[in-house]
Amino acid sequence: MSAGIVDIATAKPGRRVDNEHFTAIGLTDAWIRRRSGIASRSWLPDETPLAEVAAEACAPVVTRSADPASIGALVVVSTSSRQRVPGIAQKVAHLAGLGPSVLAFDMNAACCGFVYGLVTGLSLCDAGRARSVLVCSVEAMSRMVDRTDRQTACLFGDGAAAVLVEERAEFAGFRHVAGCDGAQEALMRETDAGGIHLDGAQVYDRAVRRMSESAQYLFDHGPAPTVLVGHQANGRILEQVRAFTSHLGVPFVNRIEHSGNTSSATIPLAFAEELDAGLLPASGRLGAVAYGAGEAWGGVSVDYRVPASTAS
Amino acid sequence: MSDIERRIADTMLAKLRERDPALTSDDLTRPVADLDLDSLDLVELHQQLERELQVRGDLTDTAGFAFLSDFSAYFVKLANQG
Repeated sequence: MSAGIVDIATAKPGRRVDNEHFTAIGLTDAWIRRRSGIASRSWLPDETPLAEVAAEACAPVVTRSADPASIGALVVVSTSSRQRVPGIAQKVAHLAGLGPSVLAFDMNAACCGFVYGLVTGLSLCDAGRARSVLVCSVEAMSRMVDRTDRQTACLFGDGAAAVLVEERAEFAGFRHVAGCDGAQEALMRETDAGGIHLDGAQVYDRAVRRMSESAQYLFDHGPAPTVLVGHQANGRILEQVRAFTSHLGVPFVNRIEHSGNTSSATIPLAFAEELDAGLLPASGRLGAVAYGAGEAWGGVSVDYRVPASTAS
Repeated sequence: MSDIERRIADTMLAKLRERDPALTSDDLTRPVADLDLDSLDLVELHQQLERELQVRGDLTDTAGFAFLSDFSAYFVKLANQG
């Protein structure tokens, strides 16, 4: 018996921003699509608190839980949360309807955040420290990016997604792989002037290698995933990882076209959208792989059985 | 043309044809700047040549190549170092 994903929900309450928005900074729809595979993204209003968006994703999962009091921990993952003291996890717990006996904390591992948060939640369950754990990624990358920067403005989107993990007799154990190299921190970083610096070619190269290697590791160690979801950084990266992992023989999810890069939230958003679209069965084994600033990378394979059509 | 050179040429032509299916092997001699390739295409080409030849190159070496023949010479050398 081990922990796995038993429910998932999302929230993308912002306004839809299509590629025509970026003609003002000299970018065309054709160029953005070719460069990134992105056609539109959701941007939150600047004044909307991230805790409210996270709670919007978490609340349905709490409501649907057979025993909400069994949710012993809440991991709120965010790269873009500006709120340091207090963090937002406690507010999210309150707004989502969790009781006071919850180990609630914030986590930031940039674009790897969901993988790292999920490993943390699964570990808490498997260690017997919590019967079930809610893991939520929430991002407002539109607030971090320099909206006049032609390299990055069009890439990022906003949104949130939450998964509930708990032990089930039917679930095989989860597996994970992770790593970091702080010497590469300059590849992706927030600039002093505001905005995000990306070394595009190097990031592309390293993201493809790291996510492909992480996927291979998951297949070489433990039960094979039935679906792979990579961090939705850029459609070109995703298609190259898809090509490099095609020998593994499982679907590789690319849902970036109408979401953009929502940092830590991309994996659960893409997974939920694929489930909602009926493109994945309600049970299987998820292989999630990510690469991001730090640099950090990792992957996790985990069994899932979720209610049909409940993601959004 | 050696077997390695032929495999490199085939890989490069396949990459070019992703952008323009009408291109032929004659186009492999044109400057990179004259082809419809962006910087990510060149990273993809680098990675695809690595996979084809089972070698590992350095992206910083190939980033400034002005001609596809520069890629060919670089990867021939890597493959022969084996």
